[in-house]
Amino acid sequence: MSEQTVVRFWGTRGILPVAANARTIREKIANALVVASREGIESYDDAIRFIDAELDFAAAATYGGATSCVEIESGDEAFFICDMGSGLQEMGREASRLMKRGRAGKFNFFLSHMHWDHIMGFPHFQPAFDDNSEIVIYACHADAEEALQRQQEEMSYPVPFAAWPARISFLKMEPGREYQIDGLRVMAMKQDHPHDSFGYRFIDGAGKRIVYSTDSEHRIDNMELEDAFTFFFRDADLVICDTMYSLAATSSAKEDWGHSSNVVAIDLCRQAGAKRVALFHHDPLLDDEEIQRLHEDSIRYEKLTREGVPVEVLCAYDGLEVTL
Amino acid sequence: MDVTYVPVGEALVVAPVGRVDEATWEEFGAHLAEGIGHAAIEGRKTMIIDLSGIDYMSSRGLRALTMAKQEGVASGVSIRLAAPNDVMREILAISRYDRLFAVDPAAPSADA
Repeated sequence: MSEQTVVRFWGTRGILPVAANARTIREKIANALVVASREGIESYDDAIRFIDAELDFAAAATYGGATSCVEIESGDEAFFICDMGSGLQEMGREASRLMKRGRAGKFNFFLSHMHWDHIMGFPHFQPAFDDNSEIVIYACHADAEEALQRQQEEMSYPVPFAAWPARISFLKMEPGREYQIDGLRVMAMKQDHPHDSFGYRFIDGAGKRIVYSTDSEHRIDNMELEDAFTFFFRDADLVICDTMYSLAATSSAKEDWGHSSNVVAIDLCRQAGAKRVALFHHDPLLDDEEIQRLHEDSIRYEKLTREGVPVEVLCAYDGLEVTL
Repeated sequence: MDVTYVPVGEALVVAPVGRVDEATWEEFGAHLAEGIGHAAIEGRKTMIIDLSGIDYMSSRGLRALTMAKQEGVASGVSIRLAAPNDVMREILAISRYDRLFAVDPAAPSADA
């Protein structure tokens, strides 16, 4: 394990998992070959250098399509995982591999809320099938266990929750109260979302601050709550922010859908003195080029509105790792 | 924040000056609300927000525009934006507010 805290994105989409289809991959390869025909590529290493130097992200890769799941690896043994979207399946496979190599199977989950895209990965979480695993699910919702039990009822899934050999427990958190959990200080904050959602702030032993704030609407007529977010984000090293829609959409057609925009996320992080923001919970209707444009627009907005220290604008993708 | 309210034909042109950020958005919003009130009382169907004097606007200012649009709908006054500088034009595009509001390249003058 790294001595530094690493934030690992396993799922970055909102609402619904999506995947690049055969035609999309074919087009990416065709476009890359057209550009590559001008280069003298004779080896795999040459090809990698060419990709890094000549192709932009959307041409050479994909932002991915798994739904919300973010791991925080700190110096301690325990796994910290925000949300259980479809990205949890791959995370679970990797965790099982690490357990076979000797890492303890202690999993601390933090649930923003129980909408489908945030819990759908749990029935496929491989360590739950291992009696060496201990799974603790932290949530601010009183009905978190009911939601997870319900999605594994027979009409929805073949393996009932109770049949798993892993030890599973639920702990209800109180927003605004700081908890010490396996080497991290954790605090939750209530957010504006249908059936409520909660953001989480994690502080590691070195004082590095990570905020996970997804599915959070920032309304035009509730600036007091916005000030509270600025406080919650204060001096964060990384803020993972819901940026699913444009500001115009959240003020019109998507009002009351419980989501935010790149523009508000950047403003909140700038006011809070945060070092970086990761655009997160991407709209499943956006393709790679559109997400890349969202990222470029966001970098530009940060520059246009900068006051003093810059806020680094990252765009989360499935597989991104950020070392703090 | 300085602001002028100038009737031009059927419209009222509201021209604020300065930057609209976390410190000034409430004042900006109050000016817009006042403009809508004037326009409604005077029977004007349109209020044009002349942005030529606005250097920059953060999301709070943009959301004040949304509130003005909502107040305008309630009062029977439609809102148009006009004369954004290059920075404001980019901010309107990035936030997609150029899809929410009609944006004219120039504001009408009182002589027009």
